[in-house]
Amino acid sequence: MNTIAKRMAAALIGVSTMALVPAGPAFAETVLRLDEVAVGELDPAKASDYADSILMFNVYDTLVLPVQGAPGLAPHLAKSWSADDNKHTFVLRDDVKFQSGNPLTADDVVFSLQRMQALGAGLSYLFANVESVEAVDEHTVSFVLKEAYAPFVSSMLRLPIVDKQLVMENLGEGEGDMGDWGQAYLSANGAGSGAYKVTAHNPQQETVMAKNADYFLGVPGVAPDTARLRYGLEPATVRTLIAQGEHDISSQWLPPEVLKALSKDGAQLLTESGTGGFYVKMNTTKAPLDDVECRLALTNAFDYGSAIKMIAVTDDVSQGSAATGAIPVGMLGANPPMDALKRDMDAAKKHLDACRYEADDINIEISWIAEVPLEERFALLMQANFAELGIKSEIKKMPWALFAEQVSKPENTPHISQLFVNAVTGDPDTLLYGMYNSKLAGTWQSPEYLKDADVDDLLEQGRDNTDLAARETAYKALNDRLMDIAPTIYGFDRQSVFAASDRVKVPALSDPSKAFGLDGMGFSFRLMEMQDGK
Amino acid sequence: MSPVVQLLAKRLSISVIVLIGVSMLIFAIARIIPGDPARIALGPNATTEQVMQLRDKLHLDESIIVQYANFVSDFARGDLGISLYTNRPVMTDIAQFLPATLELVFVAGLFMIGFGIPLGILSARHRGKAADNVIRVLSLLGVSAPSFVWAVILMLLFAFFLPIFPIAGQISDTLTVPPRISGFLLFDCLLAGDLRAFADAAHHIVLPAFALSLSGIGQAARLTRANMIETYDKPYIEMARSYGFPEQRIARRYAFRPSLIPSLTIIGLDFAAMLGNAFLVEAVYAWPGLSRYGVQVILRKDLNAIVGTVLVISATFLIVNIIVDLLIAFINPRIRYAERSRP
Repeated sequence: MNTIAKRMAAALIGVSTMALVPAGPAFAETVLRLDEVAVGELDPAKASDYADSILMFNVYDTLVLPVQGAPGLAPHLAKSWSADDNKHTFVLRDDVKFQSGNPLTADDVVFSLQRMQALGAGLSYLFANVESVEAVDEHTVSFVLKEAYAPFVSSMLRLPIVDKQLVMENLGEGEGDMGDWGQAYLSANGAGSGAYKVTAHNPQQETVMAKNADYFLGVPGVAPDTARLRYGLEPATVRTLIAQGEHDISSQWLPPEVLKALSKDGAQLLTESGTGGFYVKMNTTKAPLDDVECRLALTNAFDYGSAIKMIAVTDDVSQGSAATGAIPVGMLGANPPMDALKRDMDAAKKHLDACRYEADDINIEISWIAEVPLEERFALLMQANFAELGIKSEIKKMPWALFAEQVSKPENTPHISQLFVNAVTGDPDTLLYGMYNSKLAGTWQSPEYLKDADVDDLLEQGRDNTDLAARETAYKALNDRLMDIAPTIYGFDRQSVFAASDRVKVPALSDPSKAFGLDGMGFSFRLMEMQDGK
Repeated sequence: MSPVVQLLAKRLSISVIVLIGVSMLIFAIARIIPGDPARIALGPNATTEQVMQLRDKLHLDESIIVQYANFVSDFARGDLGISLYTNRPVMTDIAQFLPATLELVFVAGLFMIGFGIPLGILSARHRGKAADNVIRVLSLLGVSAPSFVWAVILMLLFAFFLPIFPIAGQISDTLTVPPRISGFLLFDCLLAGDLRAFADAAHHIVLPAFALSLSGIGQAARLTRANMIETYDKPYIEMARSYGFPEQRIARRYAFRPSLIPSLTIIGLDFAAMLGNAFLVEAVYAWPGLSRYGVQVILRKDLNAIVGTVLVISATFLIVNIIVDLLIAFINPRIRYAERSRP
């Protein structure tokens, strides 16, 4: 009998005694298990959504980090930085090594930027304004911009530094000297200097990461030894897994009812806020929404209070807080929390009277994205709210793919579209410029098709001014202008809520003084604490 | 040429024609689904220029005939293109995910045959009695509720309220996965001689496979019962009884075999259909299989992966059908003779 046959025979005999013996841990280590709906993109140059950000912030490092609990940026890979007109220079730490053991130098920064521009995917648009990048010396790198861009340093939050030498050793087939720029390799492997290294990646199932013992800042012993980021779990599965003690942190996409049930069962609720909002966008090219009075009638008729109740998870935790304008509370230029928007039916009626269209003749198409069931509830809320003004409306469900295609033409864009939009770097420029600049109308972010010279001018002021106070003034004025011309109903400031077991403490998602104000950054595993004996 | 070889040759040639038809159909349908695959792949923040570049790279602006010709030429070289969902060759994805689905469907098929046929025989033998009525009601329940409903019900019963079965993935994350040799985890565990991993993987597959098989079990039980009852009414059974043959012998030798032929056809079809039905069960139990992958790539309009997945599932469906045809020909000599006498 050959070896394989012997092994199989032995296995079949033995397994009858083991079939129902539950598997115990093979070794004592702390394992953090969390999930995200979308598959995580490991290649940092293609990273764009939440799962990608979690991977990016753990496997790779960036030149700067957001300050915890306050606005501003802190040094990370860069010790210091300076700006001279359109030239930004960063001085790097000299004690950082990649997970491969290669030292991190200015060349790696240059390569990372060039790779991002060459691939043109993910958040590479943030660097379209970079004319050139140069390694001044081994630990100094400078970027020259085509035109002034004040929040450039915050863009560095989205430039993960990859190990040039490792990538060059693993170039795949492609056009030109750089082949595929290492895409095939980086889609399955890590090449960063981060606190966690990738040990396995199955896009259908999970990415497994283990502590990087040589991390330049060190990784505390209480941080998880292994983190397993699972993909595409159903809400019912997540609920059962957390109840079984087989899962630690849920994604933010669980319905409020499931979060509430988990909270009742003893799960803690973690939150992340200050990065974006829920925007009800009105197509300003279509009658009757081409009349500002009509738009103001709708913004005043919207029931902001009910909206907040609809997203409440418990008495204390909600998936959003009252909006005060276009800019979420806490972001540069935002109005204070006491200026929360409120429904005003008298004002709504006055504006409707001033509108050049008769209420009886109005029939508005309210769309909702099929993949986001919560939006259907908001569509129904709006239908009821607008009906009180005598305005008829129709609700239309649209798959995301169809929506993204239809908004490219104003005549195909629904009267009302509902969207969650975030500032990808935490700066208001990355929230508002894409939404309201008239040159960028007709993308998924800008179905308003807003053409307003004042808005354009204020958006440019926000980009051009290097003085923080001047930028704040510009964004405050922009906020006011947007409230006056009402291209959008500012539904609520978004707060992501995650259910978590009591096995893990996540200060960045539970203590406002430790929060980063940047999507996904709160999931830095090195800052988490696994609880012994749970 | 032997009649079985003739049958096999005929079925294979029909299967090739069917696969070509399916490839044309799915190639066209995938392009009709709303949404720009390049836009979806690059994410919401991509600029128009980036989208246009990717469209150009994927030849999406060329005519559908040119695109199909490119596909056929690549396919002939064993290349199904790159998946925009996983950024890997579609062939790699299929090779990784197909075994998990086949393993799940195979175990579900075993449940279907192992429970469905005996229940059908039992029901027919006790026709009109309590056992028959209970089995009929249970079979009806199995057939009438879709697999994903059973998946959720079983998960609630045996994982949430009574936590005795795991519900996520193929193996506990505290265990080391044995080296991938065949891709079939249970088999690989045995090959590695890792009994603990085998027991754990077997423990993981029970609930999803049972949820997937319940509809088939009900179908098999009902069909077997109906066919057995019909056979029991045949004169040769009456004659066997009049000779005083034991009831068990009559059931096994004279009633069961003829009754099996129509049941086998339907069981074969059910077996193949489980490949398609597995996607929701795979979603509920986080099973890393091809059906779940198929749904994800359809939602993301990942053209290469859609075509690849549908072709593989169609090919598997056809192969199972051929196996069933051969089995039936083996069991029923009349089919073999009919094949031989056909001009």
